[in-house]
Amino acid sequence: MGKYIEMIRVRFLMMLAYRTNYYSGILIYSINIGAYYFLWNAIYGGKGEIEGLSVIQMTTYVAVAWMARAFYFNNIDREIAQEIKEGKVAVEFIRPYHYLLMKTMQGLGEGIFRLSFFSIPGMIIVSLIFPIEFSAAFSTWMFFVIAIILSFIVNTQINLLTGVMTFFFFNNDGLIRAKRVVIDLFSGLLLPISFYPGWAQNVMDFLPFQAISYIPSMIFTEGFTGSAVWEAILFQLVWAVILILPIQALWVIAKKRLIVQGG
Amino acid sequence: MKHGSIFFLYVSQYMKTRLTYRVDMLMEIMSDLLFQAVNLIFILVVFGHTNMLSGWSKDEIIFIYGFFLVPFAIFGAFFNIWDFNERYIVKGEMDRILTRPVHSLFQIILERMELESLFGVLTGIAVMIYAGSHLDLSLSWYDPIVFLFMVLGGAFVYAGIFILLASISFWSDSRTSIMPMMYNIGNYGRYPVDIYNKVIRFVLTWILPFAFVGVYPSAYFLGREEWYGYAFLTPVMGAVFFGFAIFMWNIGVTKYRGAGN
Amino acid sequence: MEKVIDVQSLRKDFKSHSSRSGLKGAFRDLFTRNYKVISAVKDISFTVNEGEMVGYIGENGAGKSTSIKMLTGILTPTSGIVRVNGMDPHKEREKFVRSIGVVFGQRSQLWWDIAVQESFRLLKKVYNVPDDVYNEHMNHVIESLDIGPLLDKPVRKLSLGQRMRCELAAALLHNPKLLFLDEPTIGLDVLVKLKIRNFLKEINEKYKTTILLTTHDLTDIEALCDRVVMLDEGQIIYDGELAKLRSNWGEGKQIEFQFGEQVSGEQLQPLLKELEAEWTKGDRENVWIANVVNEEHVISEVIGRVVAANRITDIKIHEISTEEIIRNIYEEGMRNG
Repeated sequence: MGKYIEMIRVRFLMMLAYRTNYYSGILIYSINIGAYYFLWNAIYGGKGEIEGLSVIQMTTYVAVAWMARAFYFNNIDREIAQEIKEGKVAVEFIRPYHYLLMKTMQGLGEGIFRLSFFSIPGMIIVSLIFPIEFSAAFSTWMFFVIAIILSFIVNTQINLLTGVMTFFFFNNDGLIRAKRVVIDLFSGLLLPISFYPGWAQNVMDFLPFQAISYIPSMIFTEGFTGSAVWEAILFQLVWAVILILPIQALWVIAKKRLIVQGG
Repeated sequence: MKHGSIFFLYVSQYMKTRLTYRVDMLMEIMSDLLFQAVNLIFILVVFGHTNMLSGWSKDEIIFIYGFFLVPFAIFGAFFNIWDFNERYIVKGEMDRILTRPVHSLFQIILERMELESLFGVLTGIAVMIYAGSHLDLSLSWYDPIVFLFMVLGGAFVYAGIFILLASISFWSDSRTSIMPMMYNIGNYGRYPVDIYNKVIRFVLTWILPFAFVGVYPSAYFLGREEWYGYAFLTPVMGAVFFGFAIFMWNIGVTKYRGAGN
Repeated sequence: MEKVIDVQSLRKDFKSHSSRSGLKGAFRDLFTRNYKVISAVKDISFTVNEGEMVGYIGENGAGKSTSIKMLTGILTPTSGIVRVNGMDPHKEREKFVRSIGVVFGQRSQLWWDIAVQESFRLLKKVYNVPDDVYNEHMNHVIESLDIGPLLDKPVRKLSLGQRMRCELAAALLHNPKLLFLDEPTIGLDVLVKLKIRNFLKEINEKYKTTILLTTHDLTDIEALCDRVVMLDEGQIIYDGELAKLRSNWGEGKQIEFQFGEQVSGEQLQPLLKELEAEWTKGDRENVWIANVVNEEHVISEVIGRVVAANRITDIKIHEISTEEIIRNIYEEGMRNG
C-alpha cells in the first residue's frame, strides 16, 4: 500500500514543479464558465426555470462541473498508449505492483494537486464574478465529496479501458480523441442530462457517462434531493464495480499476448 | 511563382506520407466530425427549451455555426501552430528553418499543415445548406464571391491571432497554456455577440476579433442588416490582423535566442 | 585574396531569467522577473579567406555555437560587424543562406518520413537550383559520398553514418561557396569519418569551397585544417596555424620508462639534474614519464642516465598529441585568467 501512496505524493510534487502552467489554466476555465454563463442567460431569457433548474442553479452547475473536471480529469489513457507504443509496459509487468493501479494513483496525485491549486482557488474567483449559490447544508457537501470521488473512479476506469485498447489497435489516437468528445457531451459537462429529450435520457441511463459530471454537479446545485441523491450515488457505485470486469479481462488478454509475442 | 510551386511540392509530399497511414487519417476525420456533431447537438438540445436566443432563431444559430466551420477548417489546415513553442523554440528546430532561403513562417506553415482539417469545409457548407433551406435565404450571383472573401477574412483573423501568440515564444520560451485558451475564447465567436456584456463584445470585436469568424460575416448571409457594417469589415479585419501578425513575427525572428541557452 | 568571412568585435549577450523558489516566489515571478545578462561571445574579430579550411574549437559553452549561429544568420548579434560572402547574414537572410551550406550533426536537415531523394527534390525547389546544374553537381556528390543506393529509403531507416552522408549531400545541393559543419562526425565509425574527410578535401580542391568546422574530435581538424581558431569563455584565445600551435605549445616530448623494479620519485629525481625535464608518474605500476624539451641531446642524455642507473623493460617516446596541447592551453588559460 505504501508504494501506491508514495506514487500519489511523487505525482503531486511533479505537478507542483509545473505550477505556473496552472495560473493560465484557471483563466481558461473561468473563460469557459463565463461563455456558458452568458449563453445560459440568453437561453433562459425571461424563464424562471428549465427542467427544474433556476438560472442561478444553472450557473452554479456549469461552474462546479468545470471545476470538478479539474479533479477527475487526467491523461492516463494517453500515457498508457504512449508507454505501450514505446514498449515500456513490458518492463512494468516485472515490477512488484499492478501497473493499472499505479497509473490510477498517478492520476489521483494529479487530481489532488489540481483540486487544491486549481479548483478551490478557481471556484473562489468564479464565485466573485458570477452569481453562484453554495449550499449551506452539511449533508450536501458530504454527498458531493463522495460523488466526486466516485466520478474520479469511473472516469479513470474509462481512461484505463481506452488506454489498454492500444494493445489491440495499431494507433489509438483517434479512439482517445473520440472518447474525450463523447465524455464532454454525455457526462453532463456541457448540458445537464435532464435537458436531453426523453429517449436520449433513457439511453444514457444504461451508460456510465453521467456518473462523471452530471451526478456530482446535480448534487452540488441541489438539483437532486432526498432519495434521488442516494439513487445517483448507487448508480455511480454500480458502474464503478461493473467497469472493473472489462478492464481486468482486457488486461489479462493483453498480458498473454505480450508474453506470446514477446512485446 | 516560386512559393506556389514549393507549396504544391510540399502538398504532394504530405499526401504521400499521409496515404501510407490511411487509418490514422480516417480516424482523424472521424473524430473531427464527432467534435462538430457535439457542438451541433448542443445547439439542438438547447433549442428544445427555447425558441429564440436574444432574437436569433435556432436555424440562424445553426447557420452561424456552419459558417464558422469553414474558416476554422482553413485555419486548422494551415495555421494551427499551437505547438510552435515546444517544437521549434524549445527543441531548436527554428535553427534549421532559419538556414533555408524561404520565409520562416511560410516554411513552418508548410511543415505543420494538416490537410485533413479541410474536410470541415464540407461539413460547414452542408450545415449551412441545411439551415439555409429552413430559413429560405435568397442567393445573388455575387454571393459566392462575398462568401469567399468572408471566409478568407475569418481564417486570417484566426491565423493572425495564433501567429501573434506563437511570436511571443521568440521573447519568452517559458511554457504557457495560452494557445488552448484561445480555442476556448474562439468558441465565443460562434454565438451572436449580443448575448454577451459590453466588455466581452468589445474584446471579441476589436482585441481578439473572433466575432469576425462566425457571427458578423454570417449576419450578411442571414440578411441581418443591422450588422452589415461589421460584416463587410470582415476581410479588412482579416488583412489587418494577419498583416500585423506577420510584422510582429518578423521582429520576433530577430529576437530568437536559439535552443539551449 | 577574397575575404569570405569578416567578423569585427562581434558580441552576443543573453538575458537569463532566474526563477525564485517556493510558492510565494512563483507568484512574484508572475509580475517581475529577476534576470542577469550573460555574454556568450565577447567582441571577437577574425577573417577567413576563400578556400580556407578552418577548425573552430572550444569547450562546451565557449561561445562556438552562438558565434556560428550569428555567422549563419540564425541569431542577431548584440553588437559588432559580420560580413559573410559580402552580406549581412541576418538582414539579408533569405538571399544570404543561398550562398552557404550548413550541417548540424545533431539535427537533421532532411525530412524524417520521406525518401532521401524526395528530400533532395524539396530542397532543390527551395534553393531554386536549375536542373542541369543540379544533375551535374549532385551526380558527382552522390557518387563520391557513395549514397546512390540510399536515395529511395526514408531517412528514419538510415544508420547514423548513412544519414550523415546524406545530410552532407543535402547541404551541398546548391553548391555553396561556404560550408559550416557543426560536429559532422559525432558518433560515427572510423571508416565513415575517413570517407567524409576525403570528400571534404575533394570539394575544397575542386570548388574552392571554404569550410568552417567545429568538432570535439581533433583528429578531424588535424586531417583537414591548416588553421584553427580557439575560443574560451567567449573570446578567441588562439588564431593561427595548427602547426605553429603544436610547435609553440607542444614543443616537448614524453619518454615513458617501464622499470623492472620498484622505484620512487626521490630515487629518480637526481637523474634529471641540470636538464630541462621533469618526472610524472604513469598510470601503470613502475611506469614513469619524463617530460623533456624537444632537443636531441637532452633526450639522449635522459635516456642514457636512466638506463645506466636502472633496470628497464620498455621505453617509448611520444609526441604530445594535439588533444593534450589543447587541454594544456585550456588549463593554463584558466590558471592565468
